[in-house]
Amino acid sequence: MDLSLNEEQKMIAESAAVFLQEKSTTAQVRKVSETEGGLDRALWQEVVDMGWCSVALPEAAGGMGLGWRELVLLQEQMGYHLACVPFFDAVIAVTPLWKALSQTEQGLPVVERLAASGQICVLGMTVRGELPAGATVKVEGDQLLLNGQWSQVGSGSHADVFLLPATLPCGSLGLLEVSAKAQGLSVQALTTVDATRSSANVSAVNVSLTGAAVLMHGDALKKLWVQTRNLAAIGLAAEQVGVADRALNLAVDYTKERQQFGKAVSSFQGVKHRAAQILVKVETARSAVYAAAFIADTAGDATDLTYFAAQARTDAAEAALFSTRESIQLHGGVGFTWEFDPHLFFRRAQAASQRLGTVEQWREQVAARLLDESVTEAA
Amino acid sequence: MNMQESEINEAFRAEVREWMAQHLTGKFAPLKHASGLGAEGYDAQLAKEWEQELAKGGWTGLGWDVHYGGRNAPLSQQVIFHEEYVRSGGPGRIGHIGETLLAPTLMAFGTAEQKARFLPGILAGTDYWAQGYSEPGAGSDLAAIRTKANRDPATGEWVIHGQKVWTSWAHESEWVFVLARTEEASVPVASARHAGMVLLLVPIKQAGVEVRPIRQITGTSEFNEVFFDGARTDGALHLGPVGDGWKVAMYLLGCERGASTLGQQAHFRYELDLIIDLAKRNGTARDPLIRQRIAKADMGLQTLRAHALRSSSEDTPFRVASVSKYAWSNWHRDLGELAMDVLGEQGELELKEPTLAALQQLWLVSRADTIYAGTNEIQMNLMAERALGMPR
Repeated sequence: MDLSLNEEQKMIAESAAVFLQEKSTTAQVRKVSETEGGLDRALWQEVVDMGWCSVALPEAAGGMGLGWRELVLLQEQMGYHLACVPFFDAVIAVTPLWKALSQTEQGLPVVERLAASGQICVLGMTVRGELPAGATVKVEGDQLLLNGQWSQVGSGSHADVFLLPATLPCGSLGLLEVSAKAQGLSVQALTTVDATRSSANVSAVNVSLTGAAVLMHGDALKKLWVQTRNLAAIGLAAEQVGVADRALNLAVDYTKERQQFGKAVSSFQGVKHRAAQILVKVETARSAVYAAAFIADTAGDATDLTYFAAQARTDAAEAALFSTRESIQLHGGVGFTWEFDPHLFFRRAQAASQRLGTVEQWREQVAARLLDESVTEAA
Repeated sequence: MNMQESEINEAFRAEVREWMAQHLTGKFAPLKHASGLGAEGYDAQLAKEWEQELAKGGWTGLGWDVHYGGRNAPLSQQVIFHEEYVRSGGPGRIGHIGETLLAPTLMAFGTAEQKARFLPGILAGTDYWAQGYSEPGAGSDLAAIRTKANRDPATGEWVIHGQKVWTSWAHESEWVFVLARTEEASVPVASARHAGMVLLLVPIKQAGVEVRPIRQITGTSEFNEVFFDGARTDGALHLGPVGDGWKVAMYLLGCERGASTLGQQAHFRYELDLIIDLAKRNGTARDPLIRQRIAKADMGLQTLRAHALRSSSEDTPFRVASVSKYAWSNWHRDLGELAMDVLGEQGELELKEPTLAALQQLWLVSRADTIYAGTNEIQMNLMAERALGMPR
């Protein structure tokens, strides 16, 4: 396992860092989160134009044919700069589905249409990354009627298109493409504690669809859902590493400037040791994320990714929570103010720690594999 | 790694496994899974014979150049050897100070005579070495050492006065390498902390050296206090230039902090598997909090592995590499505490069953991990100052 970055990967990470440093300053992040509901449309358009949204899609589907390693490098920078674009919800979380779809004759044109359009397309999953229960599809004449609710859908309030899971008349699970403008679909924006990211309740009352709206169904979809959740967790972990790293850097920079007792606060051992402990968490979590992404790219479908996703996810979530909390502490009194930046990262770290399952849930999944007699993968 | 390489490595792995199965048996059976001195079945004499058995099998000096009698094996194979050695129950290595610390330093700084004299004995498992660095007043602040060495004008021999402490294996070794201060006129600025030092190769079994074993937290003795009262060694047995001992000593410490990490993880894996088996057997595996800690430990080990791999490339930033010692030592200390909590009530008693006793040993021995080779506090200062640029 070679976890060092190759030249191309270094270039991707560096150019993303340079770009976002200019376009996603914390002043801009504050403005967008306070006035635009957490979506920087201009920035999103640039991200789309640069091709970042199709980095990991096959070339046949108009993508760059790169992998999860490249995607996590981008997502790490998104976290570091708190970029107000739905890169996680509309790229990371849907790429595994698009990759699978693009391998079918019927799916390929759908992917080409959705991926190239720059439309925001998000997945109707619960905050914890599970399949929402209760949504159904019934047949009426040559129409399908969709009914159900999908609550707290990430980036739902900015979505142009939804991928909504629901139970089909045959009893199996289906994934449906539904326009945000479809009649009978209502999208209710929610106010979020982390205002750099939006969320919405989505409900469908007799939304009328054609058969072509069913993109995938059955056991294949269930299996793919597990894979999607694991891959998304690795992507989210990368974001958390970025958040953790930034909070650390904010604290180190501040303590170098702040003087007390006639010297920089950063010269006190109590401060240095705390910063060093954060560094340990940030760098080991980064190693875990790179390793998980490496496995995702090289081991193929045969490998059970759950373990590696859990490893990356738990390390990165803890790093982000620890680093952002300590960053506030190391800022002292100003760390408690709205004006200084640590709280922006603190909010993101907390919100992200609930996405796709908590640290404890991921650990329990691994514990079950290590300690229990027979465990079957549940979606 | 291409396919052909991995096939060669798989063959190598099988070779190690087979050799261990054939040799770690019979009279060596008590050494199986015995981690070191104080562990059940670990007899120092037997452990030395085992070193010679390893040497005969060609498993010592694996990474050494061929002209030193080694095999010039690539790092990947050295790691495979460590992994399979531990998996097969290979005991703690009494020869490792000579083989992995002194030998590479001899190769880098030694004279032709020194190499010819000392490397064969290390390779053959007949000469054992102790490390004379720390002193009562110089632990993490190694530059504060006070042991003195000067040459006797009459004989040209080095004469040493002072005291060392935490000297592993000194009571089982023939030789000790001693970091000392020298006041020789040829040495410039002898008063500066890092200047005026010399690294000496000194025979232990002589009138001027007294070795007093220290009873450790485990109740046994691996460390010693070593007193030098006019101890002597040949005038030519300084390693590297006189006055430049600090540089040589630091090179040697670099060997300590380097390549052994990946192999060490195989031993951690073995310990964790003992804990998992025990938890399944005694029902603690059903305790929700213990389950969380076991899963955390297991993934934590995988993270240590990932971090070691990420740190091993040539262009690793210091920021990344500086984290390693702190990360593994604290992970291991936590593992010791988990072991005791999984042992539960049983942990209160002195246990005889070897695998259970090994877990108690782990709990005690791991308290040293965050102290030796730079304490937690020193590591944190290093990271803060050198990796994060915070002022001294």
